[in-house]
Amino acid sequence: MSPHQAQLLWGRMASYAAIGNRRACRLPIGTQLTKLPHKQPAPKIRGSRLPFWLRLCLTSEQRRASPSPLTVATCIFLIWSLLPASAATRPRYGGTLRVEIQASIETADPPQLGPGMADLAPAFAITRWEAGRRAAYVADENAPGGRPFLDAVEVELARPPRDQAIDLDVGKADLIEIPPSEARRQPAGRRTWVSQPVRVLLLLFGARVDDPRAREALALAVDRTAIFNVLLQRQGEISGALLPQWLSGYAFVFNAASDTAKARELAAAIPASARSFSIGVEDAALRPIAERIALNAHDAGLAVAVAPQAGAADVRLLEVRIATADPARALAAIAATLGLAPPPPADSPDALYNAERGLLEGFRVVPLFHLADVYGVAARVKGAPGISPLGEWRFENLWLESGRP
Amino acid sequence: MTFRTRLLVVFTLAVVASVGMVEWLVTRATREAFERVERQRADVLAAQFQREFDRRGREIVRAVEDIAQSDAAVNVAISSDYSAFYNEASAMARAHGLGLLELVGGDGAIISSAEWPVRFGYVEDWLASPSGWKPGTAFLRREELPDGFTLALVAVETVNAGGRQLYVVGGQQLDQDFLATLVLPAGMRVLLYRNLEPQFAPHLLAGSADAAADAQEFQPLIEQVIRERRPRVATLGSGAAGETVHALPLAGIENNLLAVLLISSSRRELVELENSLGRNGAWVAAGAIFTGILMAAWATARVTRPVRRLAESAGQVAAGNWSATVEVTSRDEVGQLAQAFNRMTHELVEQRQRLVQTERVAAWRELARRLAHELKNPLFPLQITVENMQRARESHPAEFDEVFREGSRTLLAELANLKQIIARFSDFAKMPAPEMQPVNLNALVAETMRLFEAQFAQARVTARAELAPALPTVSADPEQIARALRNLVLNAIDAMPEGGALRVRTMPQGSGARLEISDSGKGLSQEECERLFTPYYTTKTHGTGLGLAIVQSVVADHHGRVSVESQPGKGTTFRIDLGDR
Repeated sequence: MSPHQAQLLWGRMASYAAIGNRRACRLPIGTQLTKLPHKQPAPKIRGSRLPFWLRLCLTSEQRRASPSPLTVATCIFLIWSLLPASAATRPRYGGTLRVEIQASIETADPPQLGPGMADLAPAFAITRWEAGRRAAYVADENAPGGRPFLDAVEVELARPPRDQAIDLDVGKADLIEIPPSEARRQPAGRRTWVSQPVRVLLLLFGARVDDPRAREALALAVDRTAIFNVLLQRQGEISGALLPQWLSGYAFVFNAASDTAKARELAAAIPASARSFSIGVEDAALRPIAERIALNAHDAGLAVAVAPQAGAADVRLLEVRIATADPARALAAIAATLGLAPPPPADSPDALYNAERGLLEGFRVVPLFHLADVYGVAARVKGAPGISPLGEWRFENLWLESGRP
Repeated sequence: MTFRTRLLVVFTLAVVASVGMVEWLVTRATREAFERVERQRADVLAAQFQREFDRRGREIVRAVEDIAQSDAAVNVAISSDYSAFYNEASAMARAHGLGLLELVGGDGAIISSAEWPVRFGYVEDWLASPSGWKPGTAFLRREELPDGFTLALVAVETVNAGGRQLYVVGGQQLDQDFLATLVLPAGMRVLLYRNLEPQFAPHLLAGSADAAADAQEFQPLIEQVIRERRPRVATLGSGAAGETVHALPLAGIENNLLAVLLISSSRRELVELENSLGRNGAWVAAGAIFTGILMAAWATARVTRPVRRLAESAGQVAAGNWSATVEVTSRDEVGQLAQAFNRMTHELVEQRQRLVQTERVAAWRELARRLAHELKNPLFPLQITVENMQRARESHPAEFDEVFREGSRTLLAELANLKQIIARFSDFAKMPAPEMQPVNLNALVAETMRLFEAQFAQARVTARAELAPALPTVSADPEQIARALRNLVLNAIDAMPEGGALRVRTMPQGSGARLEISDSGKGLSQEECERLFTPYYTTKTHGTGLGLAIVQSVVADHHGRVSVESQPGKGTTFRIDLGDR
């Protein structure tokens, strides 16, 4: 069992322990215990022959196939080791979980897709929405999994990371986002929830950069290690693949090492006009990475400037989120997001590898890193990790220490 | 140009030259004083810049030392993982008021950079150079930033902790903000050209609102200072927009010329002062010139008045007023000249009187001689006739009657001749005053020519009258003019004993008329021409010599003028001008 699977199992077992205490908890066969993205069709539960407790521990993929004896033994061990701990902490109802995020969602309606607030349904129902400022949710008494322990969830939007950290320190926030650069600066003893590396950071070349040598030169010029060590504070993974290693298992095959000498050769071979382009970045938190890439490019003989308007740039530094644990579907979704040709259907690891390699040929897309979601959690927040391995919010099983007994 | 005018012009030029010289001297002295003050101001400003430069350097050194001694820097130095500190420099720089700050590991690799955070890991080789820098000293350095190079005043300190070394490199950019801290006198500005690129680049000129235009103006001076590496002074632009620029080279720690400080002083003040001086000078000069002209005119008049009187008196003397004198008002050269003039005119009058007396005596002698001559001729036949009649009475009584008759005729004839001679003298003596009336000379000439037609034929003279049709009438006594004309015609006939051609012409002359009588006779010599109008002078064997004297007397009484033009063998022409005043 991989560490990822262990973490997954841990979350599921903790949820199981909590669910057992929630009122009106009914678990009909086929109930979806792991929240899936809305557009993702519910997987067919074919493992109904498995014991209930074992089905809770397994992912949908694992449920499709027969679990190995090792997996079953691991599950038994985890359940046995976690039950006493959960029993020692009795859940409480009530209280409001205060969440702060950096994103400023300016839509007229609260988001219905993607990780984050969209994950709160159906356990919580929206009661107030101030675009770009805050949102308020209340627990649904008739939620399919039973009423959540929390009474409400308040989400404050557009909160800078520094302010989030302060709010968490002074007790004004219960859950905050932690950017990778701050992950290692957290005070001792601070609880964090970390998802799997589910965000792929990549360079996407526009049509204007039509010389593949220029694209390859930039791809080779980027010193991922320095960025990873310093700017990302060793959070996430260096990668030359679109799919993360935990999802595909072959990401390490794709080259992620820099080769400035070769990049310089390639740059010298192309016309001067093709050696100059702009790089755009929409997320201000990623701008230092873009600037470092521009600096690396300068060392390779390319003139790359960070454009103030990301949309008009020749190259864009993007973050694409992986919303499914199905690698083939994830690859297809990434290709669709980036505007690439859909990869051929892959029903085997080899086919998937070839499909991904096909997408990366020509260096139109240059994957750089896979990043995880990291949240800082207040001490009064109890219960299982509030996020899934894919970074989805799972607040229905959380309770607050100061809640009603 | 009169003497007075010349004197006035000379005086005026002297005044203008004097005023111009004074103006030039004042302007030159003003310019020298202004440039001296401007040099002093530039020196003061350069010293101020140096003080500000040193003060900033001390501040930077102090800030860098504070950072190097801080726990944060020690923590960075002893850390085994520098990656966590890549943002450390920004916070430190903000806390210590530094624009530039880099924390550099002992291997020269940048740990954290405030000015270029993503430049971590890059190596600063110059820190390891033994001659590169000294602790506790700020120096100029060319620093690389994301948007290009900049010029900075930096200081370096080292942190040694736990056997590890950390360089703290902090500084400030020398840019517009730095120059803005300098307190500048009015009309002065300071610019800084940062010599950061191999070729001159306008954007590297700091301290200018209009860098592009200024850069173009300063480029030659900056390039010269960079080339020669020594201060230069130049005047750029012209007029009120001109500037005097002191250019000072600023070197880095490796004696590389990193900047050129330009202390510019506007010449507007000087130009305005010069213009003001020029305007005031022009007014003063105009006033001085006007006053000078007035004084010159007065002085000239004072100087030239006696001279003018002398000239007028000389003119009067020339016009015949021999008694003209000049009033002597001074004892200077002009006064002496006036005295001499008066003496001269006095002597002239005396000489003239003596001459007149002499001429009068000579005239009487001539008259006596002529009279004796004229009277002697008829007296001789009278004497002979009387003697013949006496001899015939005594010797030939029979023939006495015949002789008596003959003798009586001769006596009567000679007596008539004597009477005629006396009448002529009488006529000359009795010349009456002319009775003026409008006279048509053409009619007068035509009538005279008709009277002489018989004589012309007898003397074989071809006479011709050429009369101007538009001849103005003149105021004259027609009888006297006709008499003068007849004398001239008779003279012409006498001048052509063998016959010839006579031409009488009339023509307008000024506001009057000219009468011209020409003959084709033997002509006159120059001496004869000069004496021709002298009374009783004649070139003929007969005659009294009063004809032309009468002509001259008539013409003079008419305020006219008579002249003669003749050459021997080419005839003679007499001209009478009348009525032209």
